[in-house]
Amino acid sequence: METKNNNKLGWLFASPYLIYGFVFFLGPLIWSLYLAFTNWDLIAPNYDFVGFSNFIKAFKNPAVQSSFWVTYKFMMVFVPLVTAASLAVAMIVQGLPKLKSVFLIGFFLPYLSSGVVSSLIVKGLLSYNSPVNAFLRDTFGIKINWLGTPFTALMIVALIIAWKFAGYYALILTSGLESIDKEVYEAAAIDGVSRRQRFWTITLPLLYPAIYTTLILSFGVTFGIFTEVYQLTGGGPNYATNTWQMEIYNQAFKNLQAGYASAIAILAAIVTFISIFVIKKLLEMWGKRNGWV
Amino acid sequence: MVGSNDKNKLSLTIRYSVATLLLLVMVFPYLYMVLNSFADWSQVDRQLIPSSYSLKSYSWLFSGGETGTPRPWLNSFFNSVIVSVGSTVLMMVFGIMVAYALAKIKFRGRDAVNNFVLFHMFFPAIILLIPNFLVIQKVGLYDTYWAMIIPKAMSLWAIFMYTNFFKAVPTTFIEAAKIDGATEFQILYKIMVPMSKSITTVIFLFLLMERWTELLWDMIVVRSDEMLTLNVLLSQMFGPYAGYPGPMYAASVLLTLPIIILFIIFGKRFKEGMQFNLK
Repeated sequence: METKNNNKLGWLFASPYLIYGFVFFLGPLIWSLYLAFTNWDLIAPNYDFVGFSNFIKAFKNPAVQSSFWVTYKFMMVFVPLVTAASLAVAMIVQGLPKLKSVFLIGFFLPYLSSGVVSSLIVKGLLSYNSPVNAFLRDTFGIKINWLGTPFTALMIVALIIAWKFAGYYALILTSGLESIDKEVYEAAAIDGVSRRQRFWTITLPLLYPAIYTTLILSFGVTFGIFTEVYQLTGGGPNYATNTWQMEIYNQAFKNLQAGYASAIAILAAIVTFISIFVIKKLLEMWGKRNGWV
Repeated sequence: MVGSNDKNKLSLTIRYSVATLLLLVMVFPYLYMVLNSFADWSQVDRQLIPSSYSLKSYSWLFSGGETGTPRPWLNSFFNSVIVSVGSTVLMMVFGIMVAYALAKIKFRGRDAVNNFVLFHMFFPAIILLIPNFLVIQKVGLYDTYWAMIIPKAMSLWAIFMYTNFFKAVPTTFIEAAKIDGATEFQILYKIMVPMSKSITTVIFLFLLMERWTELLWDMIVVRSDEMLTLNVLLSQMFGPYAGYPGPMYAASVLLTLPIIILFIIFGKRFKEGMQFNLK
């Protein structure tokens, strides 16, 4: 009797998710797989089954190819940048006897900003007559078209997103640092271990779980960039900042090629899934090899 | 001994200076935004720290600007409030309900539901963008508040966090309440929810912040001007070739301020919750 009641109750409590999961996840997933093999344009009532031609078209499309490479280029800049910045913030703040939480909350502030707002500010800061550019022009005669040059545009997008997440990851790392026993450091200091050695032999291994968390989170961020790119560069110049989301948005809602865009979305999901899986395995191997886990 | 004390003092001073410098660099874009929203229009984006100030940007924003019609800013602010609060409250309620079932009710099929949640959570969401848009269109919700609220009424992250939290609550609490004749709903709202105050604060603030700053979804499911959320309006108004940088900063302040105020109000509890969260 008791279990029968529990069964009903369990399903009742879980039902909001089950309904949601069916309507906004499982159903759409199947629909999306089906759409990817059609040439539907989002408007016309009729469409044809076109086999794998959407996928073949996607493979040949320079915009799709670039969104593949942009992800990894972005990753190579963003992940080290945000990890180094959050680690530096955490290490510096950790040693402060007072005002620690005031500093941490200050560093956390950028995380609260909308991508639209931070992009608009950066755009203002980099406009032709902006104080930054005026200074560079007048003192050094340097003229940089920040958002119009492929390399700098990508750097700026990576920088804004790193700015946004560094304080948040610093919070995670600080709590990791706090859980390290002070006595370990004292013992090491007595043994005459240098500051640098202490970092590599004590802090890093004991902080590894927290670092692992921030790394996984930041790799995850890499595959979901849209707002900053949409607002700042629209994917340009010359596809240099064209992310998967940007390309899918353009194909589906600008060019109205829903079938083709679904095929790109499936490719993006496969790439994301495999990449995250491989990265996770590599990080775990790296941790195990050094005996940190 | 004195020497080492001096050395400590010096290293602390250096630490504080570096921390302050870093903090200034991090918060600088915000300062720049606020200062420029109050700057005289001839100085916006011309000086790092403007020297003369006026309220013109704000009065432009709220009075009529270019068109002279009552500006859509307050309206879109209101839209943002409805959509974000609506979504976030539903995400919290559903998150708590589902998590309670997954953590504390032993029912047949629980493991299956749990696995499905985990699978859903790690599934790249991007693939769902187009079909979810089509679902909204097919059921006739396009261009309504519901289009922005219902598909964003479930947070897998909230379910995950609450499930972990509830699992840590001793079952004896629940059994004792049951003996006293409490129903499951009463247990949930009178025992579990009050116990989770600090983690609830963290989850609520994170969800609200994320919902408040959402761009892509709100942009594609809404068409008419009076339905736009503040974030989308800001994005559309001040696109690539827009003028009026002063009002742009004022509108950015308008979008940023509510979230910062909320985090300050809940600051202490947020800190406690984060500490629990990160353990």
